[in-house]
Order: sequence, then structure tokens, then C-alpha cells
Amino acid sequence: MIGVAVPAGSLTSLCQRVFGVRRLTCGILGLLAFAALWELGTMLLGLNPATRTFVTFGPIPTFKSVPFLWQTDRIQDAVVASGYRIGMGMLLAVVFGVPIGILMGFSKRFRELSNSGFQFLRMISPLSWMPLAVIMYPDWNQAIIFLIAIAAVWPVIFATAAGLAKVDPNWFKVARNLGANPVHMISLVILPAIAFDVFTGIRLALGVAWIVLVPAELLGVTSGLGYAIRDARDTLSYNHLTVMVLVIGIIGWFLDGICVALITRYSWRHRVAG
Amino acid sequence: MPGPNIIATELAGADTAATAVIDAPLGLGKTTRQAAFNFVAGLAILFALWWLGIELLARSSSTAYFASFGPLPALRAMGGMWRSGQIQSAVWSSGWRLATGLLIAIAVGAPIGVLIGRVRIFRELSNAPFQLLRMISPLSWEPIAVIVFIGWDSAIIFLITIAAVWPVIFSTAAGLAKVDPNWFKVARNLGASRWQILTQIIVRAITFDVLTGLRLALGVAWIVLVPAEFFGVTSGLGYSIENARESINYDQLMAMVLVVGAIGYLLDGCIVQLIRRYGWQRHS
Repeated sequence: MIGVAVPAGSLTSLCQRVFGVRRLTCGILGLLAFAALWELGTMLLGLNPATRTFVTFGPIPTFKSVPFLWQTDRIQDAVVASGYRIGMGMLLAVVFGVPIGILMGFSKRFRELSNSGFQFLRMISPLSWMPLAVIMYPDWNQAIIFLIAIAAVWPVIFATAAGLAKVDPNWFKVARNLGANPVHMISLVILPAIAFDVFTGIRLALGVAWIVLVPAELLGVTSGLGYAIRDARDTLSYNHLTVMVLVIGIIGWFLDGICVALITRYSWRHRVAG
Repeated sequence: MPGPNIIATELAGADTAATAVIDAPLGLGKTTRQAAFNFVAGLAILFALWWLGIELLARSSSTAYFASFGPLPALRAMGGMWRSGQIQSAVWSSGWRLATGLLIAIAVGAPIGVLIGRVRIFRELSNAPFQLLRMISPLSWEPIAVIVFIGWDSAIIFLITIAAVWPVIFSTAAGLAKVDPNWFKVARNLGASRWQILTQIIVRAITFDVLTGLRLALGVAWIVLVPAEFFGVTSGLGYSIENARESINYDQLMAMVLVVGAIGYLLDGCIVQLIRRYGWQRHS
């Protein structure tokens, strides 16, 4: 999140660097405060005899079990399995979503006729497709990728269409007058113009995909972050459970940060002076 | 002053996209009659494609079992389930969980968002833990929720709340960051009390953004609701889907999927109307 490229040597760069230090300090302090609250909550659980068995939820048992889970490759395995599914699902969502979004942005007829159907499909909770996905795909892996893709495709579609709708129609005229062919039009006008919105859509899509991933993995498969959470619960190793929850949060944060960096990089409309 | 700008660039992402999603389908046609035609025609096309797809699958003997996934069996099953009251009771119990979860999310999220927007040190300290907590997939709280909350009902409400609270928090903060600081100066100069600043300026200025956040929150809560109801409870939309799957009533399954989509569409439409009603920024 801090790693936004700044041109070196300017006054703004200095400001940003000082600000970056402050941000880092605040971030660490904030996380420490969070850990303290977490410890406090666990202590409250420990006061009640009925919930005393759950004190392994606390931050200290959690961090103590990280090396074990890391050395036995459990964290890495779960991350790789889930990462593959998320990556494939997001890829499918972008491959289908961006062209459909461009079509929606360009063709008024398509936009008008697809709107009610798409809005309806969008509001079908992705996990409702689960029974259908399991029947359609023989492999659970594919079913999960399908669920992620169908959850993630809508933000990409609508953000792309919205980005295109905001593009000044004169740009197309100018480009045509200057002799741009369709390839130039797409690569030099359309894509740079909508990149900001597409990445914004991808960021939203990633958030949604991240929500869908865990419940999708709670069923059927024996790998991935969702499975690791269920496994930890079933074996009553609550400290492993909290490690996995933390891993989910950290990876999600990292992926979200990449999206934010991309959005900032391609934002041409939202530069605010100051 | 980099503070608000950072929020704007960092949080506006979700915010702009949500607004964009509203903007995009606005080219709906000039008259209400045309809009109604597009609405019906769009849904008719969707149903026709659905029917066609199932029909093609049913032709081949290896995929003939897909026939019960078609639109006609689903509509027939929907009629039966409506008469027996299954749909109403599922909608009622899911609706209650959803509404309670969203209410708690607004009640907790909006004040935190105002705090983030107004208090710099809180914003800076809370940013890292909030970003971390936000990206914890809501359903991973499920084992913890079940232990901390006694009933499954309250565990599900907790899951919905924890999913829905982040969009509300960040939209509120982003909305406040866009408010012209001079308004506060003017209000103070005119002798406004803190309470008046809150009710006359802050609440009015951020209504649009809170509603935009609520729209995102509804979308997220709607995603979480169904899997949360897969486990433990024996009522609600998620349970009905799981139940239909286990009893191999695929027509009832598709009927419930339709109900989920229709209600989600309706709720989303209501919030869009509210956002249009309170959208003062975009008419400037």
C-alpha cells in the first residue's frame, strides 16, 4: 500500500517519504493495539468457565503455532491451492467481464436489453450456484473456480461499462480523424481510458471472490484456506484456526494493496491537486 | 494536507465503482414505457436462453438429468412451494437475519466512519488493523462465531454484520473526506453547536455515501447469507437450497435460486432509488 511509485527528487517525494514513515509507525501501532484488544477479548473468554477451553484463540498461542504450521508446509499448501483457484476464477471473470462490459458501454441496445437479466443474475448469491456447479463439473476444483468466476464477473462487467460511459465521445472522433484503426482505437484510446475503472472493478471483484472462496472450500475439497479452517475447527486446534484466519486477512490485504496500487497508477481522472 | 486525499484515493475505489454500477444501467430508455419494455424483454431473453440451454442439454442422453433444471419445472415448483408456505417462511427467516445484521452494521459502521473521517489519529491508527480485518473472509469467522454466540441465529447475524460493516465504514469515511472543510468553518461561524454540525451538516452530507456503502454492504451480506445458512440452521433461503439439493429436488432448487435473485434485485433496486433521492453530489 505504501509502495506507490513517486518521482524522486521533488519536494512532494520528500513529503511522501516523511508521510510514509508516519504511516508505517501508525500502522504498526495500530496493529499492536489490535493485538492488545484481541488478547483482552480472549481474557474475557477465559473468565467465563463455559468458554475457558477457547483461550487458545488468543494472540500468543496463535503466534506460537505459526512456525509449526509453516515448517509442516500447511500454510504454503493452503495458500497455493487457494491462490490457484482465486487466480483462475479472477482470470475467467476478467476474460468474460471486460468484453461484455465494453459491449455494454458501446451498444445501447445490448445495454438496455441485458440490464434486467444481468441485475437479476448479479443478485443471485454465488453460493446458490454451488449445487449446480457440483453437478456441472465433475471436479470440485472446477466447481470452486466456477463459483469464484460467477461472483467476480459482475463488478468487472459493470465497472468496465461505467468507465466506457464516462469516456468523452469526441475522443473517438478525434482518433478516427487522426487515422486510428480499430486496433489503435482499442489499445490507445479505450484501454487507457477505462483502465482505472477496470482495476476498480477488479478490486471489488477480488473482495467478492475472497468472500466466496472460503465457504466454497468448506465443502468437498481437502485443500485450501477454507478447508484448513474447517480442519482446524474439527480437530479443535483453535490456535491453528486463528493462524489461518490471520493468513487470509494478510493475503487479502496484500492482494487488495496491489489492486489499489494499480488503480492509483492508472487513475487519470481522480488526480486531486494538493 | 495529504490525509483526506489518501482516503479519497484509497477508499474511493469501492465508492466510485458502486456509483458507477448505478450509473451504468441508467441509460435505460427515455420513457417509463420503454424502460418497462426493456425490463420485461431482458428477463424474457434470460429465460429463453435458460430454456434453450436446458433443452439442448436434455437432448443428449448423458446430460438428460439436467431437464429438471429448466425454467418450466422451476416455475411449477415455485407455485407449489408458495402454496405450501415454504417460500414465505424461508424469506421471512432470512429477511429477519439480513435486516438485523445490516442494522447493526449501520449502527456500528456509520459512527466509526465519521470518526475515521474527522479524527486524524484514529484514522491513521485504525487503518492497518481495519484493512486486515476487512480482508478476512467473513465465513472464516464462522467457527469463532458459533462458539462466541450461543444460538446459530445470532452467529449468522454476526457473520452478516461483520461482512457488511466494512463498506459502511469506508463509504462513510470517504463521504466525509469529500465534504468541503469550509462548511464546518461556516457552520461554526454561524454559531452551530457540535450537535447541530452533526445533524445539519455531517448527516446530510454523508447520507448519499452511507447509502452507497449500504448498497455494497447489501451485496456482500447477500453473498454471505446463503453459505451461512448452509450450516446449522433449518430455516432460510440457504437452508432451502441445501435441503432441495440433498433431497434431489432440482426444480425446487432452481425455484429457490430464482427467489434469491428476485429478492436481491428488489432490495438492490430500493437502495438505488434511495441513492438517487439523496444523490446531491452528482447533480452539481
